[in-house]
Amino acid sequence: MKKWAAVTLAIWALAGMAGAKTTLTVGLDSDPPSLDPLLSSALVDRQVQNQIYDKLVDLDANLKIVPMLATSWSVEGGGTVYMFKLRQGVKFQDGSDFNAEAVKFNLDRYRTAPGSRRAGELAPVKDVQVVDTYTVRVVLKEPFSPLLAILSDRSGMMVSPTAVQKLGADFANNPVGSGPFKFVERRRQDRIVLAKNENYWMKGFPKVDELIYRPFPDDDVRTANLLSGAVNIISPVAAKDLETLRKNPNLSVSTFPGIGYQGIYLNVSKGALANKALRQAFAATIDRDTVDKVVFLGTAQPANGPFPPGSVGYDKSIPAPKQDLDLAKKKLAEGGKPQGFSFTLSIAPGPVLAQLAQVYQAMAAQAGIQIKIEQVEFGTLLDRGTKGDFEAMALGWSGRPDPDGNIYDFVRCKSPNNYSQYCNPKVDALLNRARAIRVPEARRAIYSDALKILLDDLPYVYTYVPQTTIGMSKKLSGIPTVPDGILRFRAADLGE
Amino acid sequence: MILFVLRRLVGGLPTLLLVTLLVFALTRVLPGDPATLLLGEEANPQLAAKLREQLGLNRPILVQYGAWLGGLVQGDLGRSIRDNEKVSPIIWQKLPTSLELAFFALAIALLLGVPAGVVAALRRGSATDAGVTVLALSGISIPNFFLGILLVYLFSIRLDWIPPSGYVEPWVDLRKNLLLMLLPAFTLGTALAGAIARFTRNSLLEVLSQDYVRTARAKGLGERIVVWRHALRNAAIPVVTVIGLQLGGLLGGAVITEQVFSIPGFGRLVVDSVFNRDFPVLQAVVLISAISVFLVNVLVDLLYAAIDPRIRYG
Amino acid sequence: MTRTLRSFLSNRLALAGLVMVLLLALGAVLAPWLTHYSPTQTDFTGLQQAPSSKHLLGTDELGRDIFSRVLFGARVSLVAGLISVSIALVLGGLIGLVAGFYGGWLDNLLMRLTDAMLAFPFLVLAIALAAVLGPSLQNTLIAIGIVTTPVFARLVRGQALAERPRDYVQAAVALGGGDLRILLRHLLPNITGPLIVQVSLSTAAAVLAEATLSFLGLGIQPPTPSWGSMLNAARGYLAYAPWMAIFPGLAIFLAVLAFNLIGDGLRDALDPRTKK
Repeated sequence: MKKWAAVTLAIWALAGMAGAKTTLTVGLDSDPPSLDPLLSSALVDRQVQNQIYDKLVDLDANLKIVPMLATSWSVEGGGTVYMFKLRQGVKFQDGSDFNAEAVKFNLDRYRTAPGSRRAGELAPVKDVQVVDTYTVRVVLKEPFSPLLAILSDRSGMMVSPTAVQKLGADFANNPVGSGPFKFVERRRQDRIVLAKNENYWMKGFPKVDELIYRPFPDDDVRTANLLSGAVNIISPVAAKDLETLRKNPNLSVSTFPGIGYQGIYLNVSKGALANKALRQAFAATIDRDTVDKVVFLGTAQPANGPFPPGSVGYDKSIPAPKQDLDLAKKKLAEGGKPQGFSFTLSIAPGPVLAQLAQVYQAMAAQAGIQIKIEQVEFGTLLDRGTKGDFEAMALGWSGRPDPDGNIYDFVRCKSPNNYSQYCNPKVDALLNRARAIRVPEARRAIYSDALKILLDDLPYVYTYVPQTTIGMSKKLSGIPTVPDGILRFRAADLGE
Repeated sequence: MILFVLRRLVGGLPTLLLVTLLVFALTRVLPGDPATLLLGEEANPQLAAKLREQLGLNRPILVQYGAWLGGLVQGDLGRSIRDNEKVSPIIWQKLPTSLELAFFALAIALLLGVPAGVVAALRRGSATDAGVTVLALSGISIPNFFLGILLVYLFSIRLDWIPPSGYVEPWVDLRKNLLLMLLPAFTLGTALAGAIARFTRNSLLEVLSQDYVRTARAKGLGERIVVWRHALRNAAIPVVTVIGLQLGGLLGGAVITEQVFSIPGFGRLVVDSVFNRDFPVLQAVVLISAISVFLVNVLVDLLYAAIDPRIRYG
Repeated sequence: MTRTLRSFLSNRLALAGLVMVLLLALGAVLAPWLTHYSPTQTDFTGLQQAPSSKHLLGTDELGRDIFSRVLFGARVSLVAGLISVSIALVLGGLIGLVAGFYGGWLDNLLMRLTDAMLAFPFLVLAIALAAVLGPSLQNTLIAIGIVTTPVFARLVRGQALAERPRDYVQAAVALGGGDLRILLRHLLPNITGPLIVQVSLSTAAAVLAEATLSFLGLGIQPPTPSWGSMLNAARGYLAYAPWMAIFPGLAIFLAVLAFNLIGDGLRDALDPRTKK
């Protein structure tokens, strides 16, 4: 405690001396649990990780893959070999060199370290070979087109091998990368402090001296902190607060579609919803525009499937389904329940989720379908999902830049996130084919075929695409709007 | 005296042991698998199984309990499941915040409760007395979350006097720290203030009717001296008891207040560790809360002796 | 008893509490006749309307009538208070009687157990229990009941201990009366007074606890109106629709206050020391 106080005092004393030191404070909606990409499973982790670590490749505002630590790459062997040329002269924050050995160390660690959360997405990788100091060859078991997109995320984050070897289990609490900001300290549920990496390879960047992340789980508190100037930027902004922020002359707001989706798992293996016609009946009662209007005040976008606009998989010729009560009644009769039926919808606690569930409930009631809402804690919800112990469950997906990441593990037979217990070999075959080819148009066509089957079988009702919402001080500039929702502060400038 | 303290401390051990056993049993029957929860979006059965093994969650419960107890004896509370941080530093980070809040809540409660109680007792049966009773019971009855919300609405949103919530360490910005502590401490302190006012009134009334007070009065001592020097001192025992009873609960009881005001303290830690199934943290937090309840009780006993010289502990 | 009753009735505050509880109960029972709005009828075209002659207390985030929801919410709160305290009374009473009457190792064990439970922060235990049992009205009541049990166990044990050496108990034992009969016939009537006080105070606490658990999303399930969950839903709209928070909050406050007033008045009435 004392030691901590002394350190803080020292930091603030230093801050006082430097005078011109610029601090950028970011308000998030939760506290990032893990800063080690190996162990990270929470979306919010990536916000901080992206400042500490550079990745092999990055995404631009159009979700296009752009160079980062890898300056160029080529694909050989019919899509089974990726050759990466690496940036030279990059050093980790502990002074050690970034090179091909470091890339191999990182990818091998992600693939094989016990308890790695990255092993799944890197499973198609067979081998990582060092060709020379700045060239790496990644060999795949079979063609796997999502690889680059995966390397633009946590699996592509390069941590310092020296630090990992030195710190072991404590690396997560003292992370070292090559990114624009280096880790200083963290206080659980309170703040994470990062400082400018003076030796960053991109000369003249970053522009701010200090970056502080603060978790504000409460929407009002987050907004209030932005309004009072205690923080410079927040994300997300609650829908109800967007108008207030827009009206404020000192603040600017940006909203754009994210890469995830929200909706409802329908258990196809048991309960009333095991009956396909009844699933279709329920799905037909959903009025996506009303959901958007009532719960999200017009800031969400009705979804036609798991691929949001902007994704390679998005097919604009497939419309988001409309409410159709006649169809619902027809399907009820077809399912042998012309008078309606009832099922339980499990949701995580939270006012917005409760509101959303009650909107579904009211809409289903119009066709005589009774929904019983059951709030269970998130832990219990996931547990029931994994065990297939539920009838319907409102749970979305944060999204991945490559369409494969939004569908592959969700609807294939026995895949890890297939809570609905859905199994259709036709869909499996399509999804496996889609991940093997690299021509975007061809992939989209295959995904659309799969989606049409899913929209009929309905293991999941895709309802809306959440927006990424950012509110920030007008003085702040240089933050690209990338659909993955991660705020990149490398070029951020407070303009002071 | 020292012997008494020692005996009390040793005597409390079985209860504390029982508390640890209870909380351990409770964590293990909580539905929801910490491994799955920890993996979140990356969950899959194989990885979860591996993680459970890594965390030692698939060992028999008694073995787990034994291991935890063994660590506890050596002062090792284990590591958080959620972020692999050691539990003790987490506790040490959060405890001062909650203690500060509890301290201010108690201060506010005493400042409001004792004078109110005294006034009510001295004007027994008057409108003032009834008013104090209603206010005191209102303080006890108003839900923390409602009062907290009301205060935020009034002082932060409507009047814009006080930032709505958050926490700043006192050594960073003392003024802001105190300002931010005001509303939560008041929220947390009202129930205690009500209880203190009620007990002060009732116990003072009883003391005032006793012989020695009459004697003191007969001796011609001023009413003020009689009340403040003699009666109040003797009336303090039940009041101290009720403070002790409630203070012990303040640490864990601040759950809601800390939630409403976004204070990163002990109460938040409790809720988060339940929701995250972070067993090692939950176990430690409950243990510390139980110890604090227990220590406060011992302290109350000692205070009795200090207040009333007739009470002696052999 | 009549003297106590008279003393209680002469306590204006306690009487006010009683009237408030009766009004609340009346409101809860007559709810369907007092308003023509259903508490669960949503209206997506009339979200968060301010109080008006059409909607006395305004509408909520789904366009439901808040007056109707507050009225129907009284059912949940009163039921929660009464049932969970009944559970605690029966459970705690039994534990206390057994511990106080038999004494010895059984007493020791039971009391250590209640000590341990009392050492838990009330809310932590309630949250954990609610999480274990799963959220529903019934489980919330059980969780609150269990958490409230130790207080009753302590109280009853203390009284039983005090009554045990009395002549009538000893005489009954000597006459060979069955254990249970002695316990119930002789001990219970003598501890009724303090129990009633504790019941009313615990009811206040239980109403509060239900609201708190619902506020945390662990209690009554939507769309059933509960004051706690109404307040929880209102939190985000404080700046835009304060009526969503104020009315259910006031309802909780008044209900809890009413039970506390009664308990406080009863305590005064039963306590010979505070007699005039």
